[in-house]
Amino acid sequence: MIFLTNEEMKLIIPELIMLAGLLGIILIPNFGDAKIRLPLTKIHLPILLGGKRFKSTSNPKLPNRLTMIALVVAFFFGFADRAATGDVGNTLSVDSFSRVFFLIFTAALILSTISAAHRIPARSNVKPPNESDSESLTSRKIDALIDNRRQVDFHIILLMVGLGMSLMAMANHLFMLFVCIELASLSSYILVAFHKESAAGGEAGMKYFIVGSVASAVGIYGMSLLYLWNGDLSFDSLAASWAAADGIDPLAGIGVGLMLVAFGFKVGAAPFHLAAPDAYSGASSPVAGLLATASKAMGFVAMIRILIGITLPVEGEAFWFVTIALISVITMTWGNLAALTSDNPKRILAYSSVAHAGYMLAGLAAIGSGIASIAATKLILIAIIFHLAVLVLFKFGAFLVLSLLETEGRSHRLEDLYGLGKRAPLMAGSMFVFMLSLAGVPPLAGFLSKFLMINGIVNASVASGSAGSVSVLGWMGTVNPVFWLAIAIVFNSALSIFYYLRIGLVMFFEAPETDNPLKSATSLRLAITACALLTMILGITSLGDSVLDIISNAVETFIGN
Amino acid sequence: MIGTDPLTVLTLTPLFVGFGLLILPQLLPSKNAKSIQKVSRSISFGVALGLFTFATYLSFKNFSGIDWLDISMGDYILTNEPTTLISSIGVSWIVGADALSLPMIWLTALLIPLSMLVEWDAKKGHLFHPLILIMEGALLGVFVALDLFVFYVFWELTLIPMFFLILVWGGDDRKYASMKFFIYTFTASVVMLIGILVMYFSTDGGASAGSLTGHHFDLIAMAAQDTLIETEGLRHLVWLLLLIGFATKMPSVPVHTWLPDAHVQAPTAGSMLLAGVMLKMGAYGFLRIAVSLFPESTVIFIPLLVVLGMASLVYGAWVCMGQTNLKRMVAYSSVSHMGLIFLGIATMQPLGIAGALFMMFAHGLISPLLFAVAGAFKHHYHTLEIGSMRGIAHHSPYLAAHMMLGWMGSLGLPLLAGFVAEVAILIAFWMTFGWLVVLPALTLIITAMYYLSSMQRTIFESNDRHHGILPESLHGEDPTDVTWHENTGMFILGSLVILFGILPFIFFDMMSDWSTKFLETILVAALENQGVNP
Repeated sequence: MIFLTNEEMKLIIPELIMLAGLLGIILIPNFGDAKIRLPLTKIHLPILLGGKRFKSTSNPKLPNRLTMIALVVAFFFGFADRAATGDVGNTLSVDSFSRVFFLIFTAALILSTISAAHRIPARSNVKPPNESDSESLTSRKIDALIDNRRQVDFHIILLMVGLGMSLMAMANHLFMLFVCIELASLSSYILVAFHKESAAGGEAGMKYFIVGSVASAVGIYGMSLLYLWNGDLSFDSLAASWAAADGIDPLAGIGVGLMLVAFGFKVGAAPFHLAAPDAYSGASSPVAGLLATASKAMGFVAMIRILIGITLPVEGEAFWFVTIALISVITMTWGNLAALTSDNPKRILAYSSVAHAGYMLAGLAAIGSGIASIAATKLILIAIIFHLAVLVLFKFGAFLVLSLLETEGRSHRLEDLYGLGKRAPLMAGSMFVFMLSLAGVPPLAGFLSKFLMINGIVNASVASGSAGSVSVLGWMGTVNPVFWLAIAIVFNSALSIFYYLRIGLVMFFEAPETDNPLKSATSLRLAITACALLTMILGITSLGDSVLDIISNAVETFIGN
Repeated sequence: MIGTDPLTVLTLTPLFVGFGLLILPQLLPSKNAKSIQKVSRSISFGVALGLFTFATYLSFKNFSGIDWLDISMGDYILTNEPTTLISSIGVSWIVGADALSLPMIWLTALLIPLSMLVEWDAKKGHLFHPLILIMEGALLGVFVALDLFVFYVFWELTLIPMFFLILVWGGDDRKYASMKFFIYTFTASVVMLIGILVMYFSTDGGASAGSLTGHHFDLIAMAAQDTLIETEGLRHLVWLLLLIGFATKMPSVPVHTWLPDAHVQAPTAGSMLLAGVMLKMGAYGFLRIAVSLFPESTVIFIPLLVVLGMASLVYGAWVCMGQTNLKRMVAYSSVSHMGLIFLGIATMQPLGIAGALFMMFAHGLISPLLFAVAGAFKHHYHTLEIGSMRGIAHHSPYLAAHMMLGWMGSLGLPLLAGFVAEVAILIAFWMTFGWLVVLPALTLIITAMYYLSSMQRTIFESNDRHHGILPESLHGEDPTDVTWHENTGMFILGSLVILFGILPFIFFDMMSDWSTKFLETILVAALENQGVNP
């Protein structure tokens, strides 16, 4: 059946609101005073579409505002109805697991919208250039006009990303999952290349697109192998066949392995992360922030669905345990080492995001090791999702600060951050908080999430060490290898502190390159401050507990399935 | 929510006021910056004075009539009803004080207003005093927190105001010094954090355990647990991790190199707090966490403590002799005195531990006095070189008197506070290690040597009855005499050095009772296990 029932409509209200916003952005800016004359009469009927646009609809800031409204309202509805459960059609099912991810995606999109308003500004009072204008004024006016023209495009694509992501979180069918991921991915390729006035933007978009589509192609090939094997791609059926199978069918194993390539690209796992630094540094900061948070969360939804939801055996080691464990250690180490040697803040953040993917993969690996109890599995999943949620605050927060810098030019050299402490103390302080939180310094939110992850891994593995050992080395010899994942996270975090501090400290140590005051950008500054405050509050107060409660409900729904 | 018990109020008030004063002026127009500065200074000073009064009242009201031998180890006074902060991982707000932390709390509350007072007139803008208030809250938090998570948070929080104090108001080489300070102490704390995490993972459940993790950070419950970490090797490893964190803060050779740089560059108030209280955090944490929870590891590593302590003591004193910079000399003498604290703990005698505790307190009075003197010297003669200004006694008798008193206190003149601590530690050291005591005793002679020679060159040695021999850095201008506020601050510190030299029992009795109890309940069993006869 094509049409949705009322119950189904109710379940996907947030997505419908996004869709309405999407249509609104396409339609509303075209409203004008066009009239048609009824034939043979003198009656003019207004048809709204076309003609001279009204003042309100011709405002170039309108798409941004509409997007903002749609996202905030959708977020609100999603939050209010986060416990709703039910199927929508055959391929979507809403539960608190998918809703939690919906909230993560939408929060990232809201931040992206706020910063895009300043990064790609719309100016309502731009006049076309005159002949008397100087050359620079002419080019500035033309730039402003171009910015005004592309407002609609940008925000439509932004909402497409949101729609694709939130639908993919609800998908209970592998094919639907892939289609939604592709919707979000293709839109994000365009967003990366959106910054086309610089050569880096186009190059980044192209690179990201080519690597991304190859990864998707490999993933789809893997999916087709799974289809050959099972003949049905719904998660329930796949999981049932997987559990019933005696050993692992090579077809299915290879299929899952190939799909991991596609998802590995999404989360930025080594060795599929190589396009990420280029993409992040070429894209404008609002988009880079989106890639680092929402897009990564999307990859993890897919991974959790496939690895935990389908292929996790009831007892014993999952067949992907060693692979994922190795990839996680390589990913976090590679990310951190590469970040240490980089001088471009956006590349540093990109590599840091690779490293964070490694931490979360380590959690997944610990679940697959077969020694994690149900409680430990839940704890690790909670930690992963909580980490993805708070990343929106401090990773995106850092990109917001970079967006603020981009409003005056560029943010791809460390020098651009010099002297921020003098020019904008509150922004520099917030950036400092974000960096410390990324490094995982207590009592910030980044510590809490990493701490829960380590806790889960240690809880799962520490009992395997023999308590009777006298020497440390003796004990280390007996402990399960999973324990070393926790050690790897700790050492990598210690390593990462150096490059985070480097960003944090140049803001206060070095003299600014220019004394011009930063653009005021009130809403952007408010968003940055709010992110910094929340990063602190979530780490030390009971608000963190409330968020964890929501997430642990979600995890229980997921594990229960 | 967090209650209104005295220690909570004492800790959180300066934090809230400090952050408020830091942020509120951002909202005001920048025209009246000057009046903002004055208002912010007055409010900060008023709050600091109020807190000092409150702390003194608390000390005398709650602690005067107590027989410390009656209080068993692990019991605290002025505790609160534990409040959960993050229930998912088991973090609670638990505060309490005992004879180990009480002198430190009082000292912190004392030094904050004094450090503001000696730099009363310095034009530092409106952020200086609020930062010092935040510093006060963080320091008090370290001393009162009985939850390791909260302890660690406050421990790290002390870094941030001190980092900015050095970076913004420091000397010429402040960038290097503040960076070095931050990286050294931060890295060391991360190492310590790893140790704390291992301890955390070894706790069993209990009332305060986290709902998700099943562990807790509660220090009291950790101490009550039979064996905190079952594997012996892991226990030693954790002890060493903790030691790295604490020894870097103290600082002990070989991780002391941040201290001289930080001291030389820091503004006077920063130096006073750094030497007066921040260094003591290391010794405090070491006793409170490493020794209390892992007594057996401590006993095993006594030789390491002796080596570290002796190296700091001798090396610090030795390097002092070659210093030409006043602040650098005082900084190295701090390293030297902190070495004595390790030696005192290593003796495993009540007298030695009490001496170490008193050393923490006495050094907390003497070194701020010395840094206040050095600050005034820099302020009026624009130099820190020893020997460039000769004959202060002629030109500025007050400054000369304070300087002399500080140096005498630091080298351990009888009837001054430092003497009590040094003698107690040396006697205990002799009781345990016998003739090895010659080494620390001889070091005291080196201390006397460098102080007396600097005294000779700076205070006396001039024939000019009015001005002394002025340094070149003045470019022939007449130096000014010390101002009233510098004089008052140094006078108060000097009087306290004398007071606690003559009447050490105000705190010393309490400390020695606590040390006896500490040794009896915690260390004796460990010593016997290791075959050492206590």
